[in-house]
Formats: sequence, C-alpha cells, structure tokens
Amino acid sequence: MPDIALQRSGLSRERRDALLGLLLIAPTVLVLGAVIVYPLLSAIALSFQSVYTPTLEGHWVGLANYRELLGSGGFWAALLTTAIWTVGTLTLQILIGVAMALLLHQNIIFRSLARSLVLFPYFLSTVVAVLVWRWLFNDLYGIVNHGLMAAGIIDAPVNWLGAMPNAMLSIMVVGAWKFFPFVVIAVLARLQTIPEALYEAARIDGAGPISRFFDVTLPQLREVLTIVILLRTVWDFKEFDLIYLMTGGGPVNGTRTLPLIVYQQAFGLNQMGMAAAYAVSMMLVMLVFMLAYLQRARKAAA
Amino acid sequence: MGDLMDPGRPPLASSISRRTALGVLAGTGAAAILSGCGSSDNRTTLRWWSPQAAPDQLKSYKARIAAFEAANPTIRVVFEPTSDEGYPAQFAAAFAAKQLPNIVTHLPSFAAQNYYAEGLLEPVDDVIKVIGTTQFLNGTNDIYRTADNQHCALAIGNTAVDMLWYRKDLLQAAGIAAPPKTWDELRRACQAMQKPGLYGAALPYGMNAMTSLIFIGFIHRAGGQIFTPDLGVAIDSQPTYDPLEFYRSMREFCPAGASNFSWGESLTAFVSGATATGIYGGRVLANVAAQNPAIAGAISCTVYPTMSAAIPAWTFNDFPCLMIPKGAPHLAETKAFAAALYQPEFYIQQLHAAPGHVLPVLKSVPTDPRYQANTLIARYPAEIDLMTRTAATGHNLGQETAKHRPNLKANEIIASNAIAELVQRVVLNNEAPKPAVAATAKRLVELMRA
Repeated sequence: MPDIALQRSGLSRERRDALLGLLLIAPTVLVLGAVIVYPLLSAIALSFQSVYTPTLEGHWVGLANYRELLGSGGFWAALLTTAIWTVGTLTLQILIGVAMALLLHQNIIFRSLARSLVLFPYFLSTVVAVLVWRWLFNDLYGIVNHGLMAAGIIDAPVNWLGAMPNAMLSIMVVGAWKFFPFVVIAVLARLQTIPEALYEAARIDGAGPISRFFDVTLPQLREVLTIVILLRTVWDFKEFDLIYLMTGGGPVNGTRTLPLIVYQQAFGLNQMGMAAAYAVSMMLVMLVFMLAYLQRARKAAA
Repeated sequence: MGDLMDPGRPPLASSISRRTALGVLAGTGAAAILSGCGSSDNRTTLRWWSPQAAPDQLKSYKARIAAFEAANPTIRVVFEPTSDEGYPAQFAAAFAAKQLPNIVTHLPSFAAQNYYAEGLLEPVDDVIKVIGTTQFLNGTNDIYRTADNQHCALAIGNTAVDMLWYRKDLLQAAGIAAPPKTWDELRRACQAMQKPGLYGAALPYGMNAMTSLIFIGFIHRAGGQIFTPDLGVAIDSQPTYDPLEFYRSMREFCPAGASNFSWGESLTAFVSGATATGIYGGRVLANVAAQNPAIAGAISCTVYPTMSAAIPAWTFNDFPCLMIPKGAPHLAETKAFAAALYQPEFYIQQLHAAPGHVLPVLKSVPTDPRYQANTLIARYPAEIDLMTRTAATGHNLGQETAKHRPNLKANEIIASNAIAELVQRVVLNNEAPKPAVAATAKRLVELMRA
C-alpha cells in the first residue's frame, strides 16, 4: 500500500526522505541565519557605508572606510595592543589555571569547598570585579599600595592604572584573575580521566613528579588545552568591558584595544560604518589565526 | 493532604514523572506570563533620563514624579540614570534602536545643539512659553537658540564646573594670605601646601571627557581658544603650548592616580582631604558635609587662576538643560511634565538636592526664602553667590565665547578624547607640546569635516 501511495504522489522514497530532512533542518538554518548570517552580512554591508549612528542613515562609500582604517596608524597600534593583551593575559590564565587544577586534583583538605570557591571570579560580574580591583589599585586608598609601602617595598604609591607598562600589566592580571577558572574547570575535568595506570607505569620507570607532569600529564592535557587556548584567544581578543572599565584605553593609547575603538567609533563619534569596518577587520584577523591554527592542528594530527 | 501522608504511597518526588514535572513547569510559566500581562497598567509611560542622579537628587525626582502622577493618574514617569561620560553612547544606541527617552535633563548645551542639528530633538519653545519666558534669568536660554530661530532645549540649571576649591586652613598654615589668582601663584601655593599624605591639586589627566573639558578652560585662561569664532581650528598656537607646560608642571602636585581621574575621583580627592585644592562645581559642598564634615569650616572657592592677571577668567558652564527627543511618543504629556519640573516648589527641591552645584535659572528663586532656607546655601553664601555670578558668564566648547558660532561638533570632539589624548601625550609621555598640538589640530579638522 505505501508503495502505491508513493507512486500516486509521484515522489520516490529517497526524494521524500530528502524533503523531510530539509524540513527538519529548516528551523535550525532559519535561526542560524537570523542570529549569525544576517548580522554578519549587515556588519559587512555597513562597513562599506558612512552611517550616522543615531539615525542609521548613510550612504555608500565603497572601500573608503577600509582605506582610512588601514592607512591610519591607529588600527595597527590597536592591533598590536590587542595582541599583547591577548597573549599576556592568556599566558597567565593558562599558567594559573593549570597550576590550580593540579592543586585541586590532589587530596587536599576542604577540596570540594576550594573547587567551588575557585570559580567565584568567573561568576562575578565584570563591573563589580573592576570596581573592586580599581579600589585595590587606587593610589590614595588602595590596599595594594598600602601593603607594598607597609612592607617597605616602595616609598611612594605606584600609579597602577595611569602609567605604562603598569596599566597593561594590571589589566592582564585582572583578566587572568577573572578568567582562569575557565581553564581550571576544563583541565580539572580532563585530569580526572587520565588513567592512574599511566602514572604507575611512569613511577615504575623511575619518573619523578616533574617527569610525570611533562611526560604523562601534559601530553594528556594537550587536546583540552588546545581547545581552551583557542576559545580563550577568541574571547580575550574581543574583550571590551574589563579593559574599558579599568583604563578606558589609556594612558594615551596604551591599553586601547580594537574593541574599544569599535565602541568609540560607533557610539562616541557616531560613525557606525567605520565601526563596522573595524569590527570586520577584527573578524578577519581572527579568521587568519583560526585558519593557521586549523592547518597546524591538521599537520600535527597527520 | 491525607493522601500525601499515606505511608503506602511512594515518595512525592518519585511519584511525579518527568513529563508531568515539565507540564507543571510549562503551565506555571504560561500562567506567570499571562498574569504579568494582566497586571500591567494602562497608564502612559514617560521615560526620564539624567546624569544627575545622586541619592538626594533621586529623592527629589521621586517627589516630583509622585506629585505629577497624582495630578495625572493616566501617566507614569520612570526615571533612568545615565552618566556624563556615557550619555553619547546611550543616546546613540537609543536613537538607533528607536527606544527613546521622552525627556532628558542635565546634559550640556552642546549636546542639545548637536542632536537638534541632526534632527533628533523637538523644539521646546512652547515649553518655555508655558513656564513663562520672563521667568528665566535674562539670556539664560540664548545658548539653546538654533539656526532656525527656535530653542533646542531650555536651561534647567547653571553650573560653575571648574571652580578652584581650596582649604583656608592649609593656605594659612603655608603662610599664604590669599587664594591664588595666577598659575605661578597656584603652583607656589600647591608646593607650599604639599607634604607627605597631602597633595597640592586634583587635576584630571585621564583619557576621558573631564580632562578634555577642564583643559579647554586652561587654554582659554592662557588667552587662547580651540576654534575661531567662525569655527576654524585655532588650537595650534602659543596659548595652547603654555597651558600644556603648566599642566605638566602641576603633575607633581597631583596624586599618582590622577592619570586616571575623572569627575568622581577628582571630587573625592579634595573632599576626602587628600588634596589641598580641587577643581569642581558646587557639589563639593554637599559631599564635604556628608563625607568629611571636619573640613567643612575650612573650604572655600574662587574662580580658577589664569596664566597672568591680565587675562580674564574663563569658567566652564555646561549649561545643563532639558531636551525632548524627537520621535518619542506622548509629546503633549512629555511637555506637560517638562513644564511641571519648573514649578517653584519642586524646582527648589531639585536645587536643594545638589546645593550650589545646580544653580537656579528662574529669576524668582535666588531670593526665594524657601531656596535660601537650605543649610548649605545659608552656610556658604559667598561661595554660592560667586558660583552663580561666574556660571552666568560661563562658556563651553559648544560656544567658546559670545562671539563664537555654536559648534555642532562639540559633542563628538569631547567623545573623541582628542584633547585628553593631547594632555596625556605631553604630560604622561613627555612629548614636546608643538608636534602633539599639531597632531591634535589635524584630528580636530578631521572631526569637524566628518
């Protein structure tokens, strides 16, 4: 009977299955199109226009925004600053995150409590975290300067956020503090799945704790660390609120990363087209990194 | 109840299937949404934005809103704070998203001129008429007059933003008889008063609007200007190099964190007693009274010193105003609420919430016994009087002098931080003033052209 019905409808079973498949995937495609493809195409289209933000009225300028952007030293300086920030804070996050995960993997007292508390910075609102850190760094009332002066390490308050390279180092430290729990979560989960037999074998072969870490633990963590580094690179590269609230991009342009320029162009100078050009350029830079990373990963796998 | 207590029944949690639990959750959610829809009132909502939102000011706004809502039961007014540093972004986003506030108060005059020129504001001449044109101090609303001979906003207050605040006790202890009138005197005074734990000044060096706005005043106090009266860029001149050198020389008398100072930090530095002088408006009075009353008897203010006695004083008044965005709904109700903000009883209440900071623009208020009844206004009559007179003759980048045309790009110039960056390059990076100023001049030309 079904065959007869199929024949009557004029559709083969394969064709019907294909149509059903398309129907089932359609909602996902529509949603992805609405939340990813449309905004992306809009941003690219905006980047070829001169648009006044409040009214969103503008006109086509072709590649003028990109010519201006690439011709100005501001873009390249901000790109370098963004790269320095990303590499610096990411390195700290990985080092602290792996160290903390190793510690929390041990049989220490109050381990469960410590595992919960270590996530605290990650859950804290960035605004609140920045307020707290700005007070800690404050030269008049901040505990950092008071502590260092009381310990006799410095004679006068240090300008943590208003001078370079202090400002960059400070935001790197705050970024590392805020985001290292993500590394802890991922690494700790992987640590718990490393077979104990590997460590036993290493011990029998006479490996000490350092050798066991480099020859057993680290190779086992490689995959998860690769994913963590990839994700955190993307997130740190486009980090806005923490840097904006900590330093506003200063002193001068010392901590002015690309996302801060996008914000200023879009909402300070009301030049949405130029802001979109910066945003698209950022995306292209990230794309280059991603492709390089994928190629390297493929080679490593081969 | 009895069934639940029956020991023969399985425990409640295990007796409910996942499907049932999901059904209950979905039902509860739907009920909550429906009840939420049902409980929303049908009143017309007016949204009011202002960057002036200190606790006492919020209290006065609430009182005004409550009285207005009582008199107009079909209207609901919602106050939403914005900030001096953040309003350009919030405004741009609100306009772009068509989620406009109905009424905006306490933004500077140049913001109003800028937005009006872009067709984003309603003219407010009829609101001025309802309040009474002659009720305002003479010429108060002139700065809001537009090219099409309307008013893009109306004054809600005056503020003498960059007064020199000083400690009489510290000046006396340093052997200085009178507050400084020139930059040399100021530097000497700061040097004499500075000691471990006490800095001489609280000047801002941050990458922000405050540094830009304050430094513009220094250029004028050296006899210079940012733009010519017909808005040609005039910053690249000796009266900009001189204040840069002076500003750099003052860095050693400011706290290390001054490189990041904005309004709040600069104010707190003086109020807390960390600096001997400050640069701010009348908010110092209320903050000292609340946070550091021990120095309340020792503080006073004067106009900020100029480079030489021959150069007249120049005070920054942001001319805080009331504006009505174009395109927001309920225009008639909005205008009625705007006019209601000027009813003397509530207007005075607003002024009392920031005594000496937001100064009156209505003629009848300065002599009104209700206005004078405020403790701080009664305690500091000379300071309030000086700030009132100074603010009335003040200027800002929107119109640097009476001869200047309104600068419709002032808002974007401040938001670009071009002038703050100039200060940072010379003071923090120790760059030579001339090339730094030349680069800033080029940037200003680009901004004016954009």
